[in-house]
Parts: sequence; C-alpha cells; structure tokens
Amino acid sequence: MLALALVLTLTPGAGSSPGWRPGLVVLRTALLTAAPFWVFLLVLHDVTTTVAIGLRITTMVASFVWLVAALEPARLVEAMVAAGWSASLAYLFGATLSAVPVLKARAQRIVEAQRARGLSARGGIAARLRALRALALPLVLSALHEVDERALALETRGLVPGIRRTPLAPPPDTPVERAARWALLLACLFALFRRVM
Amino acid sequence: MRSLTLEGVSFWYPATDSPALRNVSLHVARGEIVALVGALGAGASTLLLVAADLAPRVTGGRLTGSAARHDRSGIVLPTPWTQASGMAFSVWDEVAFGPANLGWPTHEIARQVDRAIEQLELAPLASRDPVTLSGGELQRVIIAAILAMDPGLVLLDEPAAELDSDGARTLWRLIRLLAKEGKAVLLATSTLDALPEVADRVVWLEDGAIRAVGPPDLLADVAACDAGLGTSVATVWRTSGLPGPYPLTVAHALRRWR
Repeated sequence: MLALALVLTLTPGAGSSPGWRPGLVVLRTALLTAAPFWVFLLVLHDVTTTVAIGLRITTMVASFVWLVAALEPARLVEAMVAAGWSASLAYLFGATLSAVPVLKARAQRIVEAQRARGLSARGGIAARLRALRALALPLVLSALHEVDERALALETRGLVPGIRRTPLAPPPDTPVERAARWALLLACLFALFRRVM
Repeated sequence: MRSLTLEGVSFWYPATDSPALRNVSLHVARGEIVALVGALGAGASTLLLVAADLAPRVTGGRLTGSAARHDRSGIVLPTPWTQASGMAFSVWDEVAFGPANLGWPTHEIARQVDRAIEQLELAPLASRDPVTLSGGELQRVIIAAILAMDPGLVLLDEPAAELDSDGARTLWRLIRLLAKEGKAVLLATSTLDALPEVADRVVWLEDGAIRAVGPPDLLADVAACDAGLGTSVATVWRTSGLPGPYPLTVAHALRRWR
C-alpha cells in the first residue's frame, strides 16, 4: 500500500483516469475477494478479532481493486514518464495493472478452444474440476511463455534502458492535486510511524 | 553501401546442440530487397533475429562468426499481436509508442507517425482502439509502428501472413518504395508469388545454411520447385510435365507459350 501511495504521489495525474467504473462493481469484487479471508478468520479467531482483521483485509483488497478499476495503465505510464520515471519501470507498473484483464481474455480464449474440442465446463463438480484443470495448465504455461515473447517484442518497439521516453499526452497536474498526493503519502508515513512506535 | 554484413554466422538457441544457423554469410546493401525463402525450420526467422541484434542478446544462446549492422534496424515479428504495446488508446498512439520510446521531440514523432499511417493506408483506423482490430489490421498497424521508428534496415518476418490480397499488394508496393528511399529490406516470406516483382535477390535457406543465392529466377529453378519453393506458375508448369526452365510469372509463361 505504501508503495502504491508512493507511486501515485510521485506520479502527477495518474489517478485522474477516464476509465472510471461504477463503485458498486468495485465494492462487489472487493467483497467477493475478501470473503474467503473472513471465513478463515472466523474459523481461527473470535468474532471481535475476525471483524478487526477482516475489515483491514477488506480495506486493502478494496483499495487495490479500486486502483485497478480506476486507473488506465496507459495513463499511468504517461504520467510516470512525465514525472521523470524511466519508461521501463513505468511499463512494468502499467503491465502489472493490465495483467488481470489480459489473463481474463486469454482464459476466455482457452475455454472457447476447449469447448470447441468438446470439453464442457458445465455439469457436476467432477466435470467442472476437469474443465478447471484443462484451463489452468495452458493458462499458466502460455503466460510464462509470453514473458520471453514480450521481452523480445518490447525491444523491437524501442523500450530499452538508457533512453528518456517522450511523454505524448501527459495528464494535467494541478498544484492542488500535487499537494493532495503529498498529503496522502505523509499520512501513510505518519500512520506507519505511529504503528511502529 | 552495406547496411548488414553477416560473416560465417552460426547460432545455437539455449539448451540445443544443433545450430539453427550454420555458417551463414550474407550482406544486404542500402536500397536492396533480399528475400529469405525455405521450408519451415530452415532458419529464416532466426537469421532475422540475429540481423536485428535480438539473438543472442535477448533470446539467449550462442553465436559464432560476426554480424555487423551499419544502420538502426526495425523488425516486424511473425506474431504482430505480441508486438502491440497494450498501452495505447488508439492506433495513432500505438504507432507512436516506438518513436516516443526513442525520445524524439513530439513534432518529429507526429511527422513520422502520420507518414507511416499514410503509407499503410491506416488513416480510417487512426482513432480506433487497437484491441478492436482484426488480425490483418493489427499487422498493418505493427508494420507502421516499426516504420515510424525510421529504421535504415527493415526486417520483416512473414509480413503478409495476416493480410488480405489488397493489404498484401499495398505492402509489396510499400517495400519497393522503402528500397527506393535507400532503406535495406530483408524479409522472410512464404508468399513466393510476390517475390519476382519485389525482391532483388533471393536467399534459399535449408537446415540453417544457405543453399543458393540469386535473382528471383531462382524460384523457377527445378531444384527449388522440387523443394516446394517455386512460384505458383512454375509449380503448375512443372506439374503439367512441361519442360524447364519453368516460367516465374504469368507474363513469363505467356511469353514461353507463344
């Protein structure tokens, strides 16, 4: 969280994305992601501790889901480059944020391919487990294989260390936004300091 | 003036014993179009990766011999979807991704991007989201993206693979134009019928080594036709049992027939 706050603080305009999604979708996704943690906490702890830790986990998950939903990776890259970050590092952050939709699209393609070959994901638990296994292996292997391909492809597009990328359309950054970001970072550091001390 | 010189190049991919390239010597001059032909696995794609300074620097592996590049190169890979940045809102942004990475001033980026978009006839798609493009459209966008980086040595791996016939015709015209501008072009293709009108020289690769080098007439050679590397006209002529030398194109065939 501190790292993300740091990136957003040192990156003008990164948060002012046009790709805003309805808050309810974000909240639902966050709650669904955090739900298993609540179950485990309830098994291991009493209700008071479960609520205390569970709310923290839900907040962290919701923050991350909100970040992924609200921030266009391309705008983050532009903003980071405009702020003086290296293009490779900016791309690393951008690619991480866009990994979820990319994997989702690939999983969809694999499911369609498996379905075309007669493997149905519908039916009982056994059928669904079979379909899950048929999805997981090619998904993981193709993702690993693409790491090499992407490294090669990005080299061909000039993304190499040592050259300062020209920002094409850096997002606008007002003094108020800058002040708000620094204030957020300071608040994070203060909270961390208070916690440790 | 040479743009690329390979002298006795052999290359092994990581964890392999047999070389993907064996003692390849080749030069490409500025303004020249050289086509690499061969069966699958003959080494054409590997040769392009070596020419682009991606093998072994990025791919890993081992290279012997020498590879000298006298111009900045740009390579179009056979899988254009992997070359898309994934960080662009529009086709224009996608084409500009490479020039921006080179740190050029914005007016120069805009000039090169507009030129490349015009060359590939992409103006109607300029504001489209790259995610919504078809395979052929994306291939044209990636070719434009590489050309917008103004490489002196243009390397193309199956550049017409995803294109329809109109798109392919535009591409071959553009390749001739690039050579006229003084760029060196090295391309690997299985679209053999276009080569008599496009290529200055043809390099026949077999099992990682150069088997023959010559003018496009090479594609009407009996041995090339036997290896499946003849043009359609030469292959039909051969299949019909007509005597060699086989004609390369329909025009050549008509001349022979009369």
